[in-house]
Amino acid sequence: MTDSTITSSVADIEQRIGEFLKAKTKTTWEPEVDLFASGTVSSLFAMELVVFVEGTFGVTVEGADLALDNFRTLRSMSSLVTRLRGGDAGA
Amino acid sequence: MLETLTALVTDTVADAAGEWDVSGEIPIGVLRGLGSKGALCAEAAPEFGGLGLSGMDNGQLTAHTGTLCSSLRSVMTSQGMAAWAVQRFGDHTQRAEYIGRLTGGDLAAVAFSEPGAGSDLAAMTTEIRRDGDEIVIDGTKTWITVAAYADWIVVFGRYDVGGAVAVVPASAPGVRVTRVAAPLGCRAAGHASVVLDDVRLPAKNLLAVAGQPVVMLTTIALTYGRLSVAWGCVGILRACLTAAVRHAGSREQFGKPLLRHQLVARHLAELYTAERTATFACEEAGRSWDGGSPEQVQAAVLAKHVAAQNAARGAASAMQVLASAGATGGHVVERAYRDAKLMEVIEGSNEICQLILAEHAASTAN
Repeated sequence: MTDSTITSSVADIEQRIGEFLKAKTKTTWEPEVDLFASGTVSSLFAMELVVFVEGTFGVTVEGADLALDNFRTLRSMSSLVTRLRGGDAGA
Repeated sequence: MLETLTALVTDTVADAAGEWDVSGEIPIGVLRGLGSKGALCAEAAPEFGGLGLSGMDNGQLTAHTGTLCSSLRSVMTSQGMAAWAVQRFGDHTQRAEYIGRLTGGDLAAVAFSEPGAGSDLAAMTTEIRRDGDEIVIDGTKTWITVAAYADWIVVFGRYDVGGAVAVVPASAPGVRVTRVAAPLGCRAAGHASVVLDDVRLPAKNLLAVAGQPVVMLTTIALTYGRLSVAWGCVGILRACLTAAVRHAGSREQFGKPLLRHQLVARHLAELYTAERTATFACEEAGRSWDGGSPEQVQAAVLAKHVAAQNAARGAASAMQVLASAGATGGHVVERAYRDAKLMEVIEGSNEICQLILAEHAASTAN
């Protein structure tokens, strides 16, 4: 993890996750759109997302944080990353 | 660390694997001994009493165990998957308690499959429900590895609109464990069915992740299990290769070593190829796992699929080369032949792996 990832803003976080999603789903996702409602993204893919978020932003998502709702939209994922980086693992 | 652990496993198994297979039982003291040294779930974090091995090192340990005894390797897979499930799905208190127990000599089974939900785990009907400060569990689980030895059974079930995972003491009222009589392979791995009849436990036995989709929960747990089984299959292949090469080099027929007969040599070449390609697939998945790459989900399925198929074919080739020399109960190649076939069935059958890989291939095509 580099200094730039530690200080990245919500917009940066959402951009990086958005790029990953675009590469995987060949679709551009707006921040508030439900990834799972569309049927394009399976709940199985949720695990890939979890691992991507952990690896990219240097956080660990475990226990009650491992909720589909935290991965439902780009916005919910950036909120999760921001919260986990705040130091409280929430679990 | 890795060398110490592989030596520990070698010394512990010694020449007993055949006997364990024939009797269908590994002495419980052997399992607790390895468990209390952290060797059965070696990736568990040091803060919870674990050894903190990397996935790659744990893979090597798993493969080494697999060369000696697939039943013990199955116990390792189960214990490791239980610790991983608690790590992922539990809160800090639950991790400290349960992983601490799993590195302290307690043994754990992981219960997914049911009479009506094998490959289709999403169809599981075991129900976990909340009742005040308690949870209540009802259901039947089948073919649960290690269940006959287990102190704890990590039970996956339906919960509300999603799924949940409960850590159930095998001694709890309402839990009934019945051994599978004479399993095809991994005969000493303690396969059993588990009936959960109105099992009441404190709510703290429900892992924090409760309510999430069943498929997400099983996929996360099975990714560990698949990689572990894949490394175990590499072990089967290594044991078969060693036995086949040794036999073909020393036995003479028609005036020359078997090795000099081209049709036998081809078996050896194919066995070697099977071991190498399975190893490469496992190493790729292991790097992906240790590096935190999202590719680990498919990479683990690929490794499991390649390694299990190679092990089944490779063990059959080794059996052909050794012929009657390997055809007695408990012989390393005879065990491999049966154990490897079972590996094509569990942790995602060949066909389930193929469906996942086909879907992956289709989704990544341009």
